[in-house]
Amino acid sequence: MRVIPKCAPVRGGALAATMLGLALQPAPALASRTLSVRDEGSLRFASDEATQIVDEGSLSGTLPGSGRVYFTYNGSPNVTARFTIHTSGGAIYGTARCRLNNPNSPVPSFRGALRIVGGSGRYARARGSGELFGVFHRRGYGLVVQAIGKLSY
Amino acid sequence: MNVRAHLAATAAALCALLAPASAQATQLTSISADFSPLRLGSPTALSLGFDVRTPDGSLPSPLTSIDFHYPTNLGIGTSGLGLATCTQAKLSFDGPKTCPPNSIMGRGSALAEFQISPEVSEETAEIALVAGPSQNGYLKLLISATGDYPVAARIVMSTLLLPGQLRIEVPLVAGLPEGPDVAVVRVKVTIGGNLTYYERSHGKKVAYRPQGILLPKRCPAGGFRFRASFSFLDGTRSEAQTVVKCPRA
Repeated sequence: MRVIPKCAPVRGGALAATMLGLALQPAPALASRTLSVRDEGSLRFASDEATQIVDEGSLSGTLPGSGRVYFTYNGSPNVTARFTIHTSGGAIYGTARCRLNNPNSPVPSFRGALRIVGGSGRYARARGSGELFGVFHRRGYGLVVQAIGKLSY
Repeated sequence: MNVRAHLAATAAALCALLAPASAQATQLTSISADFSPLRLGSPTALSLGFDVRTPDGSLPSPLTSIDFHYPTNLGIGTSGLGLATCTQAKLSFDGPKTCPPNSIMGRGSALAEFQISPEVSEETAEIALVAGPSQNGYLKLLISATGDYPVAARIVMSTLLLPGQLRIEVPLVAGLPEGPDVAVVRVKVTIGGNLTYYERSHGKKVAYRPQGILLPKRCPAGGFRFRASFSFLDGTRSEAQTVVKCPRA
């Protein structure tokens, strides 16, 4: 029995052009998801670099896991934070610019805008924004943080 | 003009041009800075000081302001100092001993001079560095100087702990009646150090020693640089600087 090819044979040049065309097409876009995130946790002091405090701990909420925050306070009420959330399937990286209130308090509070700037694993294309709230324990350098925002990945 | 006179005039003009600014000022100043311990990556106490003198040893003009610059990478905000506050009024009327212990950020002393014709008399004052109510989100530092004899006076100065900068307006203090104002000639203060704070633990008040200023793990190139600009009542200014050298690895 003779096998009839399903596709009509094409000439070599046309085949190459077709393959090149396929190769140049953008990869099919992965379906992106947007998630409303609310994560919080009490973080413990891990290390410092003078004006920068590094805290780590477990997080609960929409993306439970663990977190690490690099919190910089140089005396100005404008504090900054870089953070990583390690959760199931990958990590999420972000930054925040916050305003510290009542700095003479043993536990001044801060609040500001956060941005999700990237990630790894399933969150490699993570982007997002939101708000970061927290308190800074000036005695033991612990942080209590809460992040609320929208995450696309 | 002969050659010798011409050379002398040229030399005089050169001297006038090349003379350092401080030599033109009526007051000469120097500052000191020290960390104890000087261990990178560790908490420390910071001692700062300054001296004011005149080239001929006469009484300096009273100091009116100091603009002090310190490295921005010192962890003063993260020092854990000043966990309570004291008001300027309380500090002025009752002194630092009535302020909360957790508001004391440091101590020191000052030496002032004033004229009792024809002699110059001296007085030592105790200095307390106290946390005041924050202003615009910045930590406020109140500086009280208390002297007992021969002039009984307490002055309280206020400054914000801006990153890397302290600007202190110094009020004039009258010496004896009809006499000139008191001139501060030496100050030495330590931020942190031997302080006792208190905290509640399991319902009990427990004493502890606050950690102090956090030093960075890396020393800045050339060391930790400090500089200060002094203004005096006679309108002159003087600048001084010092460097705390990096510790040997």
